[in-house]
Amino acid sequence: MSAYGTTRHHGQPSANSTPASTTLFRRLSWEGTVPLEIRVDSKELPANSDRGLECYYIQAPRVSYLPLLMPEIRRFLMDVVFDEAAGKMLKEEEWWFESEEGTLLKWHWPIGLIYDNHTISASIRPPSQTSTSHHNLQVTPLKLILHLASPPTEKLLLSPSAESCKQAFMGQLKEADFVRWGNTKRMTGLRKQDQDGIWEGIKEHNFDDYWRVASKIVPTTAPARSGSPPPSTNPSGHTRPPSVDPQSAPDRDNAYNVRSVPVRLYLPDGPVMQDVVPPTLEDGSPHTLVHYLSTHLPLLFPPTPYSGPELAYAMMHGVLVPPDAEMAWLGACMAGADGWVSVCVGIAR
Amino acid sequence: MASGSPDDSGRQAALPWTPGDVSESATEALQALDTYKKKDPSKVVVRFKAVGNAPIMRQNFYKITASNRFQAVIQFLRKELGWKAGDPLFTYINLAFSPAPDDTVSNLYKSFATEGHLIVNYSTTAAWG
Repeated sequence: MSAYGTTRHHGQPSANSTPASTTLFRRLSWEGTVPLEIRVDSKELPANSDRGLECYYIQAPRVSYLPLLMPEIRRFLMDVVFDEAAGKMLKEEEWWFESEEGTLLKWHWPIGLIYDNHTISASIRPPSQTSTSHHNLQVTPLKLILHLASPPTEKLLLSPSAESCKQAFMGQLKEADFVRWGNTKRMTGLRKQDQDGIWEGIKEHNFDDYWRVASKIVPTTAPARSGSPPPSTNPSGHTRPPSVDPQSAPDRDNAYNVRSVPVRLYLPDGPVMQDVVPPTLEDGSPHTLVHYLSTHLPLLFPPTPYSGPELAYAMMHGVLVPPDAEMAWLGACMAGADGWVSVCVGIAR
Repeated sequence: MASGSPDDSGRQAALPWTPGDVSESATEALQALDTYKKKDPSKVVVRFKAVGNAPIMRQNFYKITASNRFQAVIQFLRKELGWKAGDPLFTYINLAFSPAPDDTVSNLYKSFATEGHLIVNYSTTAAWG
């Protein structure tokens, strides 16, 4: 059984406070990777570099960021593409990436989000004469063009330094914390060691290191929902009936008690939508994905009763998400490492 | 619970794009996307609040176009304060966090406005590291 749920602020040790299914989905989300093909803009290769070797392939973690790939890319360029003199001129702070279509790639978007957003955008764009006439959703490498100079800073808005990346990441965690609880006590309450530690978990792509800290700030899913009674007994030896005590300590961090789930909706080629997402609706029922989508994008997800063909689909971490998925559950089990549930909307055929 | 893994073929239907071969529903969906792309021309109220030694402006409430990025708000604030590009300026929402510069005012307003306005705190130092 996972130990990730044992480090709670209220110090209540409970070996089974994190259900196995929660840990499973957190691990699946964490371990997702996407293939990237990185090619230096041919105009920026020095005259004496070996053009035949200019592509570098990386199977990158979905939860990582482009600036974190730069050391590895630099080593490849130094080893294979540039000679020592040219290599010395490489300045990572001037690097920037764009897609084949000329889309500027953002430093603060998780790589998985960049990949899914690009795949979906490409799937609805009519093909140019040179590309293949079929676009499908098979996993193909995302082709990135790496530029080594003259970054469009007014559009990038952030520098690609690892420190900048860390600040942006921590900022997203804080914003998510605030969305959930109306304050950032859980984030500001972390010791410096933990704040650094969670970022190290991202940099080193280590699930345990990341969740050692994340378990203190990410909501839990309620053990009661799995049907098993709470482990405590009263002094007379009878087990307590499995009643739901709303004031019990584990519920303080329960996914269904948040004010709002941190969710962003990504349409192909924009815009990005963000709004309040309560975990339960006014009638007390859990807020489901289909309800969220038909509320915010009724033209793409017509509300019931609707019997026409499916117009669009919702994708997270590269997988299609069932319409009855609960937003609170998604927030606890399938959020990105930055705390946000990123829903990419694609057009169905 | 999830219907597939990254390797699942799932909805792997090819989308052949030849002129006139787009299904009706895809056309309807593309039109819907165009509708959602339209920029919201409405304005929302942003309230600037100084933190620490930062100067208080004569006017603190402004109507800002909802579709603007937060970066535009930062630049607007810098101009109103008369500060140059290199001068340190840190901004926060509700004294709690710094949004990503490409977050829109619309999204921030919908998510964090209180009493009809979005509070943007500004400071000369990084208050919440």
